[in-house]
Amino acid sequence: MDDSAQRVLAYLTEVEEAAEDVLADKQQIVDLDLKRNRNREALNALRNDRSLNDKANVCFGNMFIRLPKEKTKTMIQKDQEQIDKEISELRKRLKAKVNHLNELQGKPELKGYNLSPLSNEEIKAINSILKR
Amino acid sequence: MAAQMASTKVPEVRDITRIERIGAHSHIRGLGLDDALEPRQVSQGMVGQLASRRAAGLILEMIKDGHIAGRAVLIAGQPGTGKTAIAMGIAQSLGPDTPFTALAGSEIFSLEMSKTEALSQAFRKAIGVRIKEETEIIEGEVVEIQIDRPATGTGAKVGKLTLKTTEMETIYDLGSKMIESLSKERIQAGDVITIDKATGKISKLGRSFTRARDYDAMGAQTQFVQCPEGELQKRKEVVHTVSLHEIDVINSRTQGFLALFSGDTGEIKSEVREQINAKVSEWREEGKAEIIPGVLFIDEVHMLDIECFSFLNRALESDLSPVLIMATNRGITRIRGTNYQSPHGIPIDMLDRLLIIATSPYTEKETRQILKIRCEEEDVELSEEAHTVLTRIGQETSLRYAIQLISTAGLVCRKRRGTEVQVEDIKRVYSLFLDEQRSSQYMKEYQDSFLFNEAQTAQMDTS
Repeated sequence: MDDSAQRVLAYLTEVEEAAEDVLADKQQIVDLDLKRNRNREALNALRNDRSLNDKANVCFGNMFIRLPKEKTKTMIQKDQEQIDKEISELRKRLKAKVNHLNELQGKPELKGYNLSPLSNEEIKAINSILKR
Repeated sequence: MAAQMASTKVPEVRDITRIERIGAHSHIRGLGLDDALEPRQVSQGMVGQLASRRAAGLILEMIKDGHIAGRAVLIAGQPGTGKTAIAMGIAQSLGPDTPFTALAGSEIFSLEMSKTEALSQAFRKAIGVRIKEETEIIEGEVVEIQIDRPATGTGAKVGKLTLKTTEMETIYDLGSKMIESLSKERIQAGDVITIDKATGKISKLGRSFTRARDYDAMGAQTQFVQCPEGELQKRKEVVHTVSLHEIDVINSRTQGFLALFSGDTGEIKSEVREQINAKVSEWREEGKAEIIPGVLFIDEVHMLDIECFSFLNRALESDLSPVLIMATNRGITRIRGTNYQSPHGIPIDMLDRLLIIATSPYTEKETRQILKIRCEEEDVELSEEAHTVLTRIGQETSLRYAIQLISTAGLVCRKRRGTEVQVEDIKRVYSLFLDEQRSSQYMKEYQDSFLFNEAQTAQMDTS
């Protein structure tokens, strides 16, 4: 292969890698959200369970284990917090990665992408101009 | 009923004035420059004026990069040499994201508003603020809604809502409030909905394609959308661009939010403006907002008086200031409100701040091109000879007069059921409508029979 072909190949590899990176992160967010929703369902189920039994069957992988309800609840809640944190972290990293990909592809930088959002009250205050 | 009519009427009236103003330059799509900023002879509706277009292109690039906020440009030239066209070209090439405000010099004279207030409002309309709104939403296709009514008939309802995306499916427990808003929005299985996590507001995006067969007998207004992809709980970020003036208006309390719709905003207190400035710069420091300096275009700038010029001088020095583009067709004339003469009717200290672009009269070939473009724009077919005659008229009288003859000749042509405007049609409208020179000639010949004839003091006072 001659020089220019080599260069094109290297460039394409770089773009593909960046794109793959973005896709992987996106998939991970989806997987985490799936887990988050399952945890939420479990918490709801625990709350609505009116049986006198103070233990619940909890499924770990392939095995059901009887655990005290309170303990299960705190365990799941902790897991939930962890997932929330991970998702927001992933989203933050994803932004930088998408920017990097756009730059590699020669696309213009997204406008206002790096702004931090206005707070709820501020949005409410200027809502009347946004809803045109 | 009456209130409803009034509220629907206002935007209508506004629309018409807008179309009218742009009408004469509706064929302009941009400045007609190539990537190296070299002007093309005929492009994007622009013809000739190569040097001025190149200069305008340079300024445009600087505006885009945000380099020359707070500077001013003057486009000077004889009537009908494309000053407004160049300004329109700049407006078109800036894109929708950069604010562009156009106003004619005479527009600032109003009984309801002081001149400086009108100018301040125009200035602040030309400055954009980019802000971001971030919301957590749940977006999915409704698989099932199950609502249990309590057996006694009273008491809180409970229920379950199953939502899915292409990747996952989950069940939400519903409280009575949620159930109420779901039934209010008439959500059924197969709808694609979003729920705002912060407010609990539900909105329907449409019906899922996969359920399209179920709704075969529905009207055309049902909108079908794809089942959402990815995670259920998403973060939505929307970037808005608003102008400083809009923020002023909603914060000017005496007006209330209605002021935005009536178009008559009255005067805004300077304290309000100062508060807004402080808030916006606070946002900017916190990374919550970006300032986009836009463009304020003042046509017929010689109509401004000395007070306005001193206001402009001062306003340009503020750190929140747009690029000011002015246009004038006057030579050395009296500055309005004084007895002093100055080039373009603009005070020397103001002129000193300006980058001046000059436009020159069009050549015959260019006139021909412009007339051709206008014919296309106005949907009038012109025969070759008629085109030549019209070009001649354009050279001898004025380009504007020739352009006005296009649509009138088109009407005459249609009247005699012709498809193409011939020389006869042009001749007919030329005899029907006088141009400026012939009209003055007529005046001179018959002045004695006109009323209030004061031929001795014929010099028009234009300033």
